[in-house]
Amino acid sequence: MSSKTAVIAKLALRNLRRQARRSLLTAASMIAGGALLIFSLILGDGTHEQWIDSAVRMADGHLAVQSVRFGDSRALKDRMPSEYRALVERALRQGGLPGDIYATVPRLSVTGMASSAAGARPVRILGVDPAVEAAFSVLDEKVRQGRYLQSGDRLAAFVGIGLLEALDLRLGSKFVLTAQDAGGEIAGQLVRVVGTFRTGIPEVDRSLLHIPLSTAGDWLGCSGDVTSIGLLLGNSQQVPQARSSLQQRLSRHPGSDELQVLSWRESLPELDAAVKIDDFSNYLFQGILFGIIALGIVNTVLMSVMYRRREFGVLQALGLTPGQSASLVLAEGLFLTVLSGTIGIALGLSVTWFLWGEGLDLSSMMDNEWTFSGVVMEPVVVPSFRVARMVQGLSFIFLIGMLASLYPALRALRIDVAETMKFER
Amino acid sequence: MGNPALRTEAVWKVFHQEAEEVRAVRGVTLTIQPGEFVVLAGPSGSGKTTLLNLIGGLTRPTDGRVWVDGLELTRMGSRELARMRLEKLGFIFQSYNLLPVLSALENAEFPLLLRGMEREQRERRVRELFQRTGLAGLEHRRPGKLSGGQQQRVAVIRAVVGEPALVLADEPTANLDSAASDILLTVMEELNRDLGTTFIFATHDSRLMERSRRLIHLVDGQIVSDQWQESRREQ
Repeated sequence: MSSKTAVIAKLALRNLRRQARRSLLTAASMIAGGALLIFSLILGDGTHEQWIDSAVRMADGHLAVQSVRFGDSRALKDRMPSEYRALVERALRQGGLPGDIYATVPRLSVTGMASSAAGARPVRILGVDPAVEAAFSVLDEKVRQGRYLQSGDRLAAFVGIGLLEALDLRLGSKFVLTAQDAGGEIAGQLVRVVGTFRTGIPEVDRSLLHIPLSTAGDWLGCSGDVTSIGLLLGNSQQVPQARSSLQQRLSRHPGSDELQVLSWRESLPELDAAVKIDDFSNYLFQGILFGIIALGIVNTVLMSVMYRRREFGVLQALGLTPGQSASLVLAEGLFLTVLSGTIGIALGLSVTWFLWGEGLDLSSMMDNEWTFSGVVMEPVVVPSFRVARMVQGLSFIFLIGMLASLYPALRALRIDVAETMKFER
Repeated sequence: MGNPALRTEAVWKVFHQEAEEVRAVRGVTLTIQPGEFVVLAGPSGSGKTTLLNLIGGLTRPTDGRVWVDGLELTRMGSRELARMRLEKLGFIFQSYNLLPVLSALENAEFPLLLRGMEREQRERRVRELFQRTGLAGLEHRRPGKLSGGQQQRVAVIRAVVGEPALVLADEPTANLDSAASDILLTVMEELNRDLGTTFIFATHDSRLMERSRRLIHLVDGQIVSDQWQESRREQ
């Protein structure tokens, strides 16, 4: 640190202490703002993580590998043949992908009809491997009657409660699934209800059912093939790196251009939009709040500059350049905001950690199950503590401090030294 | 022979106040050699302070040129001017203008701090001056805890501590009683005599005029007389 920088830092700190009451009042607003900022960021992140987790478990995971054409057509003819499935599974077995892969699930998804004596309903049929699906999907936790699928099941179906009621079925009832098979022919399959689920999302409860993957493959004439392989990661932050790494790994093999790795943002665009909108509204609120706090800082620093005009004149007479005088003002504003902002962030973190580290229970505010963008909202929000958010919060506060001090600094820069000395007479 | 401490050549300063043109300094040409003890005297509005500001590079001349220790100020940018003020000039103001957040010692060593001088060397030089000016023991007091005379002596130390080519003092005794003024003048005379520091004062104070060795009278921005005199104290 140069001698002038050290002098400027020393003067800035002492000047803040000189107007202790004014500095403390301004600091208090920044501390409250910093605490609120970090609280809302980590709670918002926790909420989003919960939405994403809930949604990706119902859908195709944080990452889904599928045929390039399947994304648009959703048709069985655009499935991933067994050799490509083997290629993907080999790539995943190699290990070393960034992030924590909690589960990898092969699925065969097809749309068709479910019929019983009471009628017929359009359905989304998911052929799943029961052994790994339980670790991936949340459906096995939503059992209302019976049980989830098990390894060794053959003609079993795990159906939504809405579908069960619409087809007037009961546990153990048989019903018929009809869909277009791999050859383009209409094929039927008799299955029996082994369990029912209720997600709280009516459209899911009315239209989704799981059957064993082997049964689906045999029925549709595409044994060993899948429509997608889903990956469940530790959290959504790990998606970009894991995706790019998996893409790179697959690209080394012939035929890889037939495959694509989709992130949840692409598979679930509505959820992606919901997260972005929620983030935006949070940023907007924080922006307004910090705009108000910044005005307080401008007032404190500007008053300090106006009150000390002659002092700035003296400093320049003694050898500081106008720019260095301005940097003294910037330093005062930055010290005030960054110090108090850091205290605020630490306070926000501590309070959130100690009071709601295990989760903030909002059940008293949520009488009924609340769904949003096809996701069931959990009543307990677990804050998500991320270093990146702390850095982001500090950078934002630093920026606010810089912006708020800019105008007072310009005033100090433009001080006419000779003019300030006229006050003596 | 070395450079004069100060040289001005036909310096003008014209201010515009609304529609009126005020010629504060009118074609002043002046040379002051190192070690001189000079007083600029004259009635209010005669241009003394404006001339000091021009010499100190605090304001730019409308016309003419100014050299301090051989360096021409009129061609300097604001950074060079700041550097020149730090290295070549010392200022003493009527209201002392010590920085209230610094102790007496920190105020006095401020120019040396800006120059990046080592702490030990800095403190040795400042403490010696505190001793010489009768301020020993007051080093750690804040300006608010010092009398006017003591504050002004700290300001004098701050002005001379960097051994500048020139010390500019604007009405340094105006806020002091006669006893404090006398002590201050004695201190400055001794510094002038012992260290060879060049002083230029702008003042109304007759005691200061009497103790100067060169008395320059300004009227309406022009030098009307420039006299060498034996100061009464020396007589």
